[in-house]
Amino acid sequence: MSFTPLPVSKARSGEGAGVRAKCITASKNPLSLITDRAGLWTLDGRFAACERYRESIVIMERSSALSQRRPATLGLRARATVRAGLHRLVPYLYIAPALVAILLFVYVPLLRSFQLSFFRGNLLNPFREYVGLLNYQEMLTGRLFGELLLQSGLYLLFAVIGSVIVPVSLAFLTLQLTDREIDFYQSVLFLPTVIAFNVVVLIWAFFFLPTGGGLFNAIIGYFGRPPAAWLQDPVLTLPAIALIANWKIMGFHFLLAIAGLKAIPREYLEAAYVDGAHGWTLIRFIVLPLFAPTLLFILIITLIGSLDAVFTPIRVLTEGGPNNATNNLMYAIYSEGFRYFRPGQASALSVILIVLFGGLIYWQYRLFDRNVIYDR
Amino acid sequence: MTVRDTRSLWLPRLVLGVAVLLVLTPLVFQVGISLKPPDQVFSNVLLPLSSLPTLDSYLVVLQSVPIGQYLMNSLLFSVGVTVGQIALALPAAYAFSYYQFRFKNLLLALVLISLMVPFVVTYIPNYLLLAQFRLVNTLPGLIVPMLGVSLGFGIFLLRQHFMTFQREILEASMIDGANSWQTLTRVVAPANVSAVTALAVYILINTWNQFIWPLMVGGGRVESYTLTVGVQMYFTNPEGGNRWGSVMAASVLTSLPTVVMYLMMRKGILRTFTEGAVKG
Repeated sequence: MSFTPLPVSKARSGEGAGVRAKCITASKNPLSLITDRAGLWTLDGRFAACERYRESIVIMERSSALSQRRPATLGLRARATVRAGLHRLVPYLYIAPALVAILLFVYVPLLRSFQLSFFRGNLLNPFREYVGLLNYQEMLTGRLFGELLLQSGLYLLFAVIGSVIVPVSLAFLTLQLTDREIDFYQSVLFLPTVIAFNVVVLIWAFFFLPTGGGLFNAIIGYFGRPPAAWLQDPVLTLPAIALIANWKIMGFHFLLAIAGLKAIPREYLEAAYVDGAHGWTLIRFIVLPLFAPTLLFILIITLIGSLDAVFTPIRVLTEGGPNNATNNLMYAIYSEGFRYFRPGQASALSVILIVLFGGLIYWQYRLFDRNVIYDR
Repeated sequence: MTVRDTRSLWLPRLVLGVAVLLVLTPLVFQVGISLKPPDQVFSNVLLPLSSLPTLDSYLVVLQSVPIGQYLMNSLLFSVGVTVGQIALALPAAYAFSYYQFRFKNLLLALVLISLMVPFVVTYIPNYLLLAQFRLVNTLPGLIVPMLGVSLGFGIFLLRQHFMTFQREILEASMIDGANSWQTLTRVVAPANVSAVTALAVYILINTWNQFIWPLMVGGGRVESYTLTVGVQMYFTNPEGGNRWGSVMAASVLTSLPTVVMYLMMRKGILRTFTEGAVKG
């Protein structure tokens, strides 16, 4: 904030700036230039700050664009600005506790993972031995890594079907329904989201029991088929696990899709409808293009979150087996760290995962950051 | 006028009805099996409801598992994380909404990106950190790291609400002589109480339902099991009796609090989930 001093004589005689009010109080410290109380109003509505210096009052007229504004607002703004100048640290103080927590438990661990990836040891002494790039070399050249990539990719395919295509299609089906009906469907479909994941997995574990007593085997037994070992069969396991994870998440993505659809102005749909666009034509040429940002968003959170989401079913039911059929990049980090107690190798894998997902993460961040999706 | 073609509505309703059935079936079985007489779990598997519902399975669980202890741990864990996160997120969101300062965008980016870091990546170093301070299998060990790991969401969500809050009210409160902290605690927070409540419920449910983290950090000692971990341990090592009836009973007991909370505050919860994820 800059002030141009007026000549003292002019100020005293009240010329020029048209000063009417007196300078009310000034700082007791003669060296401090301006206190927040040392403002006064000129007749023409401009703001002036004054300073008591020795015995004379120096009027300094404010030279800024603000002088065009209404006096009342201007005074507050100026006061607030002065105050903010004195307390420039305040916002940092508000943010500091949260930021420390995030740095300490997200970013420091991230850096520590990076550091750990050059060492070998165990959970009690993770930095036992410096091995350079050996962990990376072993991970990237081993047979396991190829399998992890393949299985992760395969799972992502299931996730795109179960967490993008199914919920979005279901949401499109609600287009012509009333708000009350939509509310009912989304409330029910969302129910699995509020139930603990491992509880959900236990219920499904009963369905997938390998004996005739499991629900699915009872159903196929009804049609005369022999019971299947759903969670031990390398072909059946991944779809079974995917079914559980997507059952849990589907309702949430349905909710997002509904929100995206509701954001499309009704007038567009009505206009298209009046013009004769029905059913598939309406969806393909009107709804889908307007819905694209939401679709993109759901796709990205599915890609980023699905390995995360399938983690619990794998942990509870298969531990990555049989024969790595349900293993993936994220679960392998956990098993390296907590089943084989090799934090170094786990961390190398973490770094590889972050690098692979970095682009997606940045993309999601941009979506969060800009108002790309829609405004309510 | 709305776009509606009543003739073709039976098909969407049919498909959505099937989806509703598929979503509800496992939950019906969960409750149904827990109420079946324990020796009849595998008779008439296709029928989830028994003609003679009993609470036997619940009695078995209550007698064989220190469920009160688990409940207490779950409660302290989720309430601790909720209160802590709200306390940290409120002032941070306030500053991000109403102040201009250097590095604001960078710091906000740090907050948002922290949400997208896969949890397995941070869990291992966090576990090692807790081990170093001998906090494994303790309640503070469970709670404290969670104050940072998912905190970004709360900051982000509250900021969305604060941004729409009228600045004039803030200026008025400043004129009346409130300093910025008083403006936060006496004006901004009370005015956004519904958003804060919805966020609190969201955090509470999510924390209550956490499984992997409490298993890693609290899974080493029965005294530090949360309900989710307790159910899991009971599933892996059932102590006597037919296990499915009582496993389902334990799982119903675990889910009941969050489901009830959801049914009571459905609107707010659904809104919070949508806003947090979709609104930018």
